[in-house]
Amino acid sequence: MGLTIQDLNVSFGYKYVVSNLNLELDSSEIVAILGPSGCGKTTLLRTIAGLQNQSSGQITLNGERIDGVPCESRGIGMLFQRPVLFPFKDLLGNILFAYQKKNQRDMNEVRSVIQEMGLEGKEHQAIETLSGGEAQRVVLARALLTKPKLLLLDEPLSALDVDLRRKIAKEMRLTLKTRGIPAIHVTHDPIEAEIIGDRVIHWTDLQPGGDNEE
Amino acid sequence: MRSTVVRTVPVVLYLSMILLPLLFAVDRLMLVTGSNPVESVFQIDEHPFGSDAVKFTFVQAFLSAILTLLIGLPIAWWLGRYQWKHIGIVRAALTLPFVTPSIVAAMGFLALIKNGGLLHSIGIDLRTETGIIGSLSSTIGVENSGHIIALLVAHAWFNLALVIRFVEPRIATLPPRYEDAFRMLPVGKTPFDRLAKFWWPMLKIPILSAFTFTFLFSFTSFALVRWLAPNMWTLEALMATVGGSAGIPGYRVEVSRFILGAATLQAIVLIAALGLTSRMQQRNFQETELVSEGYSRTMNGHPGILPKIGVFMATIFALAPLVFMALSSVRIRNRTTDSYRWSLEAWEYAFQGDLSYVSVPEALTNSLVYATGCLLLSCTLGFFVAHSIHSLEKQNRKKLAQTIDVLSMLPLALSGVMVGLGVLLGTLKIWPELFNFYGLPILPHAMLTTPFVIRILLPAMREIDPDYEAMGMVLGFNAIQRFLKIKIPLLKPQIVVASALSMAFSLGEFGASWVLLRSGAWDTLPVLVDQLMSRPKYFELVTPIAMASATVLMCTTFLLFVIAERFRTHKGGGF
Repeated sequence: MGLTIQDLNVSFGYKYVVSNLNLELDSSEIVAILGPSGCGKTTLLRTIAGLQNQSSGQITLNGERIDGVPCESRGIGMLFQRPVLFPFKDLLGNILFAYQKKNQRDMNEVRSVIQEMGLEGKEHQAIETLSGGEAQRVVLARALLTKPKLLLLDEPLSALDVDLRRKIAKEMRLTLKTRGIPAIHVTHDPIEAEIIGDRVIHWTDLQPGGDNEE
Repeated sequence: MRSTVVRTVPVVLYLSMILLPLLFAVDRLMLVTGSNPVESVFQIDEHPFGSDAVKFTFVQAFLSAILTLLIGLPIAWWLGRYQWKHIGIVRAALTLPFVTPSIVAAMGFLALIKNGGLLHSIGIDLRTETGIIGSLSSTIGVENSGHIIALLVAHAWFNLALVIRFVEPRIATLPPRYEDAFRMLPVGKTPFDRLAKFWWPMLKIPILSAFTFTFLFSFTSFALVRWLAPNMWTLEALMATVGGSAGIPGYRVEVSRFILGAATLQAIVLIAALGLTSRMQQRNFQETELVSEGYSRTMNGHPGILPKIGVFMATIFALAPLVFMALSSVRIRNRTTDSYRWSLEAWEYAFQGDLSYVSVPEALTNSLVYATGCLLLSCTLGFFVAHSIHSLEKQNRKKLAQTIDVLSMLPLALSGVMVGLGVLLGTLKIWPELFNFYGLPILPHAMLTTPFVIRILLPAMREIDPDYEAMGMVLGFNAIQRFLKIKIPLLKPQIVVASALSMAFSLGEFGASWVLLRSGAWDTLPVLVDQLMSRPKYFELVTPIAMASATVLMCTTFLLFVIAERFRTHKGGGF
């Protein structure tokens, strides 16, 4: 079980950004993919999430093929490079976006995640007042509450300073491991990759053809 | 498939709404006159007032634009250069005229210039041209010069905000070191050198844009011409007045020919002016570093006595017509003794509607119903047309997107009267039963306001980070949930601004409503004001009742903007 990607190809016009990519991930494994900017890491994550169409290949999650499934039905969470917080909601309002309907909300769980992320007392703070680290914690809290089958981390810490980046990377790893959520973390920082991943894979090993330009 | 339908249906509906009435109208006029639109432009002078109307329209629009710049530029300069206390309030007061319905502006100026008005009482008699104005009139030898002066000043009052809004931000955000560097060069030694070789190149685009828009608004002005220069004809005023007789085969063909020619000429002028402005802006676009307004103003410090007096006078100029209009509704002139008394009688009459087809509450209800209908129609259509254009742009189908964008702007090249006549001649004379349809004015109002809605929403849609949509998908929201929970809230400020503008425009719209509704049971507030002012003034309360009705319209419009301002910004908050 976990994630299996077989012979994945993604192209923009005639240009292949991901070609013949194969990857396996165990059910609670965290894999860090290391590669330079523009090599195609983000495209890979967007394809797994269903935000980008693939040209060919198979993606299987927990034994089910998901490559034909729309993004919103895949049950995959994703953190983008910049924290995506909705400006018309405060911190709590953004976290509650994890639930599609009001009657699905479990406020005990919400409080517990807020506490775990160290965001207590800031529930009604406007998102503009949050620091970069706090903003990514809010996004992580929201993603955790969706109970994702897989979490995709697209360089979510790249905008933070080095010390904070590594501190949050440790916290993230602990959170994901405690909950047994498998994750793919892409980064160009080798130390961050080592901290967060059970396994670190270089992009060139995933794609023997070499780096591609996005 | 579903997304194609969502994209296509609003575009087809909108283009049909704006194009069909106009095409039907042109077709009908061509059938009646046997001329094509271009030929008919050269036949305008066959109408007894046609030739004079063309000349006066161009001359008054040109002079109005010049006068507006003469008054507006020093104010924009002072506001942009110096640190002012309460600049927000001053700016709001100076912008007020631009959001004032044109009939209210006309009433405001009438209140100033009428017998017993402020200007009349200090010896400036623009109505009957006695005293100084009489002497001036006979010196320059221009007939009705008092009326013309009143019209030009009213146009300048109405468009002052345009000059300030176009020019002031440019002055306020230019880095002061540019000017400092220029002063140290031989070419920038004297203030005149700096004006000609530094400030003019820096400011010419906003100044010329303000000139063009003021020219266009004055060119198509109707309510102000009708009430402040009653003996003069502009193309817009003449079209509105004679338009009811047009489009009937074999009956007063010269009127149909005039309408076809005048509408074509107006459309050519409007399209040419808008096209020239747009080309000028594109060709002369300068990428200049900008600084925050506060920084630039701090460098120049507080204003001296002259700027203070100038800005104070401009604020008084902006507020006086409105204040005097409100006062005129309670200050009643006794015609026999020529004395004045203060009374609320006019307000009682206005609310009872004894002198008009409808009372103020009925007219206000009609206006609000039409404004709400216009809001719903123009905002819904405008939103989806903008969404369609944006979707096509995202799919890289830029030519199709541009074509729809340009077509959607077509009503900007039409005046209120042209649209009203388009609906009257294009739709009603083919389908007369529509005359019994209460909601009829919503169509021309929406035709005129939807391009503004598109212009406000489209840039905002382009600016939304695509990650918001992606995040919505990752969180499991379907297309409708993403639309309702993410897209609409993100666009809320622009939707509120578009809605407020749409409603305010509909509330104050006079040209199209006047053509379609005149003297009916569904009169709007602007039509009611016009109807009251058209009555003989034997009864002393007639003018105060009109002023009271105009005051209600003014207050409703301002209240709308105050409410819109409250809802405009994102306030955060949970679910």
